[in-house]
Parts: sequence; structure tokens; C-alpha cells
Amino acid sequence: MKHKELSIRFCGIAGDGVVSSGKILAGTVASIGLFVMVNDIYSAEIRGLGKSTTTVRFSGKKIHSMGDGVDLLVGMAGKESISELVEVKSGGAVIYESSEPGELVEGESLAGHIPPDVRGYAVPLKRLANEASGSNRGRNIVAIGALCYMYSLPPEIFINHITKLFQRKGESVVENNVKAFRLGYDYCQENYPLREEFDLPAAGEAKKLISGNEAVARGAMNCGLQIYAGYPITPATKIMEYCAKDLPPLGGWTIQVEDEIAAISTVVGSWFAGKRAMTATSGPGLALMSEMINLAVMAEIPAVIVDVQRGGPSTGLPTKVEQSDLNIALYGGAGDSPRVVMAPADSEESYSGIQLAFDLAEKYQTPVIFLSDLFLGQRIETAILKEKIDRNRSTRKKATAEDLKNYVRYQLTDDGVSPWIVPGESGAFYTVTGLEHNLQGNPNYEAEVHQSMTEKRHRKFESMIQDIPPADVIGDEDAAIGIASWGSTIGAILEGMEIAREKGVKSKLIKSIMIHPQHEESFRRFFDSCQRIIVAEMNFQGQYAALLKSRYGIKPVEMHLPAVNPVSPKAIAQKIMEVNDELTQ
Amino acid sequence: MKYVIIGAGVAGVTAAETVRKIDSDGEIVLIGKEQFLPYKRYLLTEFFCGTISKEQLFSLSCEDLKRLKITFRKGQLAKSVDFENKKVKLFHNETVSYDKLLIATGGKPRIGPALRSFEKNLQLYYSLEDILLIKEKLDSVRTCVVFGQGLSTLDLMAGLKNLKKEVIYITKKPRAFFPLLQSNSDVDVHQFLSEKGVKIITNDRPVSVEKRDDKFIVETFNGEKLTADLVFAWDDYRPNIRFLENTKIDRKIGILVNEQLRTSVEDVYAAGDCAEIYHPKIKNYWINFGYPNAIEQGETAGKNMTGLNENYRIRETLVFHVLGKPFEARWWE
Ligand SMILES: Cc1cc2nc3c(=O)[nH]c(=O)nc-3n(C[C@H](O)[C@H](O)[C@H](O)COP(=O)(O)OP(=O)(O)OC[C@H]3O[C@@H](n4cnc5c(N)ncnc54)[C@H](O)[C@@H]3O)c2cc1C
Repeated sequence: MKHKELSIRFCGIAGDGVVSSGKILAGTVASIGLFVMVNDIYSAEIRGLGKSTTTVRFSGKKIHSMGDGVDLLVGMAGKESISELVEVKSGGAVIYESSEPGELVEGESLAGHIPPDVRGYAVPLKRLANEASGSNRGRNIVAIGALCYMYSLPPEIFINHITKLFQRKGESVVENNVKAFRLGYDYCQENYPLREEFDLPAAGEAKKLISGNEAVARGAMNCGLQIYAGYPITPATKIMEYCAKDLPPLGGWTIQVEDEIAAISTVVGSWFAGKRAMTATSGPGLALMSEMINLAVMAEIPAVIVDVQRGGPSTGLPTKVEQSDLNIALYGGAGDSPRVVMAPADSEESYSGIQLAFDLAEKYQTPVIFLSDLFLGQRIETAILKEKIDRNRSTRKKATAEDLKNYVRYQLTDDGVSPWIVPGESGAFYTVTGLEHNLQGNPNYEAEVHQSMTEKRHRKFESMIQDIPPADVIGDEDAAIGIASWGSTIGAILEGMEIAREKGVKSKLIKSIMIHPQHEESFRRFFDSCQRIIVAEMNFQGQYAALLKSRYGIKPVEMHLPAVNPVSPKAIAQKIMEVNDELTQ
Repeated sequence: MKYVIIGAGVAGVTAAETVRKIDSDGEIVLIGKEQFLPYKRYLLTEFFCGTISKEQLFSLSCEDLKRLKITFRKGQLAKSVDFENKKVKLFHNETVSYDKLLIATGGKPRIGPALRSFEKNLQLYYSLEDILLIKEKLDSVRTCVVFGQGLSTLDLMAGLKNLKKEVIYITKKPRAFFPLLQSNSDVDVHQFLSEKGVKIITNDRPVSVEKRDDKFIVETFNGEKLTADLVFAWDDYRPNIRFLENTKIDRKIGILVNEQLRTSVEDVYAAGDCAEIYHPKIKNYWINFGYPNAIEQGETAGKNMTGLNENYRIRETLVFHVLGKPFEARWWE
């Protein structure tokens, strides 16, 4: 059997090296130019406790999601891996530990639960790891050696990668790991000579691996982030970690503050002083930030807020994914409080999108909420980043000499954007307040003033259209079935469309990183060209569907996908087929 | 009642099906060390030659196993049995307890001491794994050297000829000889093979098999030097009972059983190629080889495990198929 793609899951508990197994495997296949996506799942809020899994999916073709099921489960922890067996595809395989000392109680071993349509490979991971290095630590490398043989992957690529990876730690560490790899490989070759094949394309240029969170941090730093302020929260903390490490050497600051309110306050304050600033949080943090975001709307101060969404409401499901913060992002403010809402679909968009977020925030003097999610933020994937590095970037509409003659902070303009000077710049003083204000910024509650200021704050969103990318339409242009979605669900949709297409059902997708504002014209044209529209998203309420319905008057078939786990492409394909059946009846 | 069967060949599978027919509630665990669903070993040559598909080899599907409520432990080797505590210990150290145990582990080709040091260079022809591995190489195989006396050797040669491969057969005897019965006396195997184009080297045996590049060099006792792409060689066929070493169960070449297929240990039965059955006529034990016998033994053992008391009737002969042609034989090897 020749595999066009492979999905391999490692399952274990603390100390099993599950996450590093994923990294080594992913790093190796990326080093020869394959496309990879890696997803880690932790059962506990605190990493390193309880069971965790890491799944690596790779192919010669671009990968958009984690797919459905896994081809191989490596059960580093036997008992804990039992519940993962349902994920193993029919015809797939399981590697299980065969060097447990003593007696394993019947029924508590992974082997005892392997269904008959799956092959089980007993490999003495511990014994071989000990043979290699005198400790259990290299078990994961033994398993990688075993799977390298099982799928006829070239061992040299692993040995090269392992050598590079462990070089820093000294020769003996490299040697031990290479030996562990070899022992796993040889064991399988000797005991399970019959093997499968991975359809390896000609080696290409090495690809970079990046997580959504890292892409956000890098994108932000590369477009002039100067101040990062945040309070740790799963699954957004990594963004702060990257900034903590890499921002100070660039001359910026990373500040861990006492809570999310302090974080957003620091961000708004920094922007007030003209510094590009960002915070990252998750749903509960965004809820806390509502009032300061409102202040930024009212005072027309930029802010960039990343929300790496997790399951909610409240503290909800810290380690599980959901796309249910769209409503709070769009509407979570008192008064008529417009804000830019963006949602990247993958790491590449996370990188370029966050740079656009800064540009829009600064140019239009408004907060931008950037909705990533746990799956997108934490997963690692091969990405081709359109690297743009300009730490001095600025999109601020600066005051001209003319403006400064009689400077008013909230001057009414056609595009709604007033020239903006920051404290310390010469020539002007003004008041900033959360109260409604007049052109100078002084509190004013007159009806006409409130009306014109509200209009101004909304007019900016119309002007913004010129700076936002048009929506992308992907798939068969002449398809009768159109799909709209947002964020990380897009990946599963792209693959679901492909599955449906292989079964003869065409469809097309409209996707835009912009949730608000949107290129409405392109959406209207798209919806007009469809006989049936599906809106798919990972939340219970159908929050994006509600937005599209009210904005475009469509009557879509809504897929409110169960959250917690990334979306299944098969489920999408099935819906496309169902809708097609209805259409053709 | 919990029935555990070691070996998922025809004997084991027949026993499992028989038990289920009688006891609809009992727990049945079938343990097989191969990585496949239970399959019919005796059809391997048909699959090898492409006259049947891989799917046609299988005797039970996943659905059958589900329907029959058989827990199939696929690819799991029994490494020992603790008869005192009624537990089977598996390769990965899990123990499976039983109320009634059937050992149906069949037999396998054995390479004798003379060729053992060349084991790595020898190809067996016994399991589906062997066949699949041979099939992978087949396109680049032109010449095969075959050494052995058993019926499966005959089967193999017929298969290889069918696939248009050159075959050189080495036999210790003065003529190619297989233990076929008088009833087949119209067939002269030596002539039959010669006519099929098999080159036969008599009164000789391989003494070394070395690998050189992609080829194997076979040297014989009489000084012949042969070059082959594959070398098939084994000395005889032995029951798979090494995992019972250091146990009290009575055995000689195979596991000794009475006519009810009961072993010397209570609640433990044996059937198929691994069992030596008491033959009342010759007043000794012998292995009643062959798949029809394994099926019948599986059935008898299955019944008796559920509490019946049926006797197995010894067959004097076995029917062996060489590419569809039935031959009668007395011995397997
Ligand atoms: C190529 C070939 C052609 C043949 N053609 C014919 C023919 O035409 N006519 C005929 O009558 N016979 C034929 N035979 C012989 C026939 O296949 C056997 O007699 C028959 O399969 C015996 O059945 P069994 O169930 O006893 O053993 P098997 O079919 O050998 O099954 C035993 C199973 O037990 C497994 N096992 C062994 N040890 C363990 C362990 N410790 N733990 C778990 N599992 C274990 C083995 O892997 C095997 O799968 C042929 C054999 C071969 C190899």
C-alpha cells in the first residue's frame, strides 16, 4: 500500500517525550520539503500532567487540517492510549510497548483493545532505549525508528535531523539517539519485515515549521511591535513567551502585568504614546478587556488584541478549541462600538494578518480584535511566510503643518480619520476621554455632536474597505453549492470540498480574513452565484451565520460544528453531499 | 465460561466457530501471532500464483468476528502458559486467563543445523507474510533454488513454474520423491517435475548459501555452485510448541492428546498440526496433518471444550492440492 499522506499520533504521559516525538518527526519530514501539520492535545490545563497526544500529518501536498483519523498510533503509555484507538483508521496500525516488566492485567493493555482491522506491532521500546542509552528516555526515538521502517521512509533523513537537533548537547547524546533510532528501525525490519510505503516526492527545499501563535508573535515583531503586555492564559501564553524572548533584543518591551485589564490598559496607553502595542488573551481575558476596548473606540486609539479562542463561556474549556468569541469580539462593548474583527485561517495568514491588523489599527485609530483559536494557535505547520520585516513601519495619518496651525484631535474628515499627533510631538495639546467629546476632545453631550462623532467613528469602517483584501473564492466557480466559514475551520472545509469533489460533487468557498468590515460586494456576488449556501463554524449558536444572515439576507444551511476537537473534513464532505442530494432531487 | 484459543489457523478458527454454535454466551478469545485476519494456509499457493485474491484467503472477516463475538488478538504471540493458574502469557506480558484452553498453533518449517548459519539468506514458504514478501521481489526473480522434501516444497515448485520462473531442485534422494500414496502411482513426481522444466539435482544437499550483491550463491556437498535470486530451503516441518517449554504438558514432537483431543493437563486441548493424536491401531501417537484433518480436529476440540465427549476419527491419509490437482498422501513431510 502506498500512502499519499500519513497521520501519526503519539500518546503518552509526562516523561514519555510525546511532544518531542512530534517535533522530531515533523522536523524531519519538513527538512525534505514535505508539508506537515502537528497538533498537540493535553488533557490537563498544566502541560506535563496527565495524558497528552501529539499528531503529525504529512504529505507532498499542502495540508490544511489534521484530517480524519490516524494511520498509526504510537502508544507510549499503554492504558492511556486505549481511548485513542477509535481514531485509528481501518487498515491502520498501532505500536505498543512490549517490554513492560511484570504482568500486565488483562484488558488494561493497549494490545488487548486493538480491533481486528488494525495491525498491532509489539516493540520493546523501553528495552531498546535502555540498550541505546542506559535509560528509558529514548523510547520515542526508538518508536520513530520503528515507524521509519514501517512506512519505508529513508532512515538517513531522520539520522541527519536527529544529529542536527542534538548536536548542541554533545556527541554522546547524538550517538545515543541515533543508536535508539537504529535499534527501533532494525527491530521492525527483523520482526515485521512486511512494510508499507509512503509515496515520497522528490526531495524539495526544507520547509519552516511554525505555530499560529508564533506566526502572530513574529508577524507583530516584524512590523514594529514595541510593547507587548499580557497576562498568561491558555492557549495564548506562547505569544507572550515568544515576545518575552525576542522583543527586548529588538529594543521593545514585554511586560507581564497583573491581569487582562492591566494588559489592555498598557496596550492602549502605549498606542496613545504612538507605540505599536499588542496583547494576547483568550475568551475570559477578552471579556475583562471589554471596557478598555470601548475606551479605545471612543478615544480613537488603536489597539491590537489577539484572542486565541478556547471553549467557553467563562473559564470554560481551557485546553479545547471553539470559535465562540465572535459575538463578543463584534458586539462586546457598550454603546455603538465598532471594532475591526479579523480571523486568520492558518499560520501564513496569522503572520500576514497580524501585520495588516497593526496597519489598520494605526491608520484608522481603532481597536482590532484578531481571532485566532486554540487549534490554529498551538498547531505547528509548514508555512511559507511572506516575510516582511520593517520595524519602523507606520501607517499613522500624521498632522500636516497646516493641521498643526489649529490642531483639533477629532477633526471631521471625509474618511473619518483625523490627523493624529502623540504626546511629546510638538504643536498641540488635546484631551482624551471615554466621554463623548467634541472636535478638541473635550466632553460634550449635545445630540448633534454625539451624532456626528458616532458617524465619524463608523465612517472609518467604510473608508477602510480600500485597505482590506478582497475575499478569496476557492473551488469550482460554477458550483451550485457555496460555503462560507472563518478561522481554522477553513482548513477542514478545503479538504472536505476535495473529498466531495472526488465523489463528483462540486462546491466553492468564500473566505476572508476580514470579519468586520468585509468586502461586501464580493460576498454578495458569491452568494448570488450559489443555489445553496452552507455556513460552517465551530460553535453552538452559529455566530458567523447570524452575521452573514443579517448582513446579506441569505438563508444558509448552518453547520454548528461540535467544538472541543478540530473539525473533521469528512463531516464537511458529508454535508456537501447531503446538500447536493437535496438540490438534485 | 471463557474459552481461549491459541493459534488462528483452520483448527483454531473451526474450534471457535464450533464453540459459538453450542455456547452462545461464552467468552471466546482467539490469539494469533500473525498480522492478518485468520486465513487458509492451504490456499497460499493459489494466491501466490494469482488464481485467487488476497481477500479469498481469509476465513473470517471483521464482521464475522463481531457477529460471532470472538475477541481476536491479532498479531499477538503466546509466550508461555501457566497451567496452574490457567493463564496464557502474551509476548507483551499481558496475561489472559482461561477456563478452557485450546492449543492450535500448527507447525512451521525448520531449518536444520547444517543450514542454520545461513538462515538470513533462506526464504521460507509458509505464511502469508512469506508470500507477500516474495511477491514484492518476484519481478526481479528469474532463478530459484529449492531444497526440501515436504509436500509444500512440491507445491512451491509447481507455483514457481506456473509463474515462469527457473527452478533448480536439490534432493538428497536419488530421485525427486514425495510421500504420495499408491493411489497416485500413475504420477511419477520426478518425471512430472522434469517435464515442467524443473532442473533436478539428486543425491546432494546445499552446504552454504552466501549473498553476493543481489544474488545468492549456493554450494552443494558435491561441489555444485549455483546462482539464484531466491533460495528456498528447510529441512522439515515441526509443531509450534516451543512456548510450552518448561511446562508439565505431555509432548513428543507435538502435544500429546487422546482421541477426544484432551492433553495431559485438565481443561487444555490441542488440535491441528501441533497435536499428536493417539492412534489406537498403531498404539502410538502421530500428527494427523493437513487442513481437512485440522478442521475436523478443531470441530471435535471445540465441542469437547463446551462439555461434550466426542471422539476424533484418525485419517490415514491427507489430500494435498498441487495447483488444483488433488493428491493423496500419508505423510506431510
Ligand atoms: C504452502 C502450503 C500449502 C498447503 N497445502 C495443503 C493442501 O493442499 N492440503 C492440506 O491438507 N494441507 C495443506 N497444507 C498444510 C495445511 O495448511 C496445514 O495442515 C493446516 O493449515 C494446519 O492447520 P492448523 O490450524 O493446525 O495450523 P496453522 O494453519 O499452521 O495455524 C496455526 C496458527 O497459529 C499461529 N501460532 C503459532 N504459534 C503461536 C503462538 N505461540 N501464539 C499465537 N499464535 C501462534 C501460527 O502463526 C498460525 O497462524 C499446506 C501448507 C502450506 C504451507
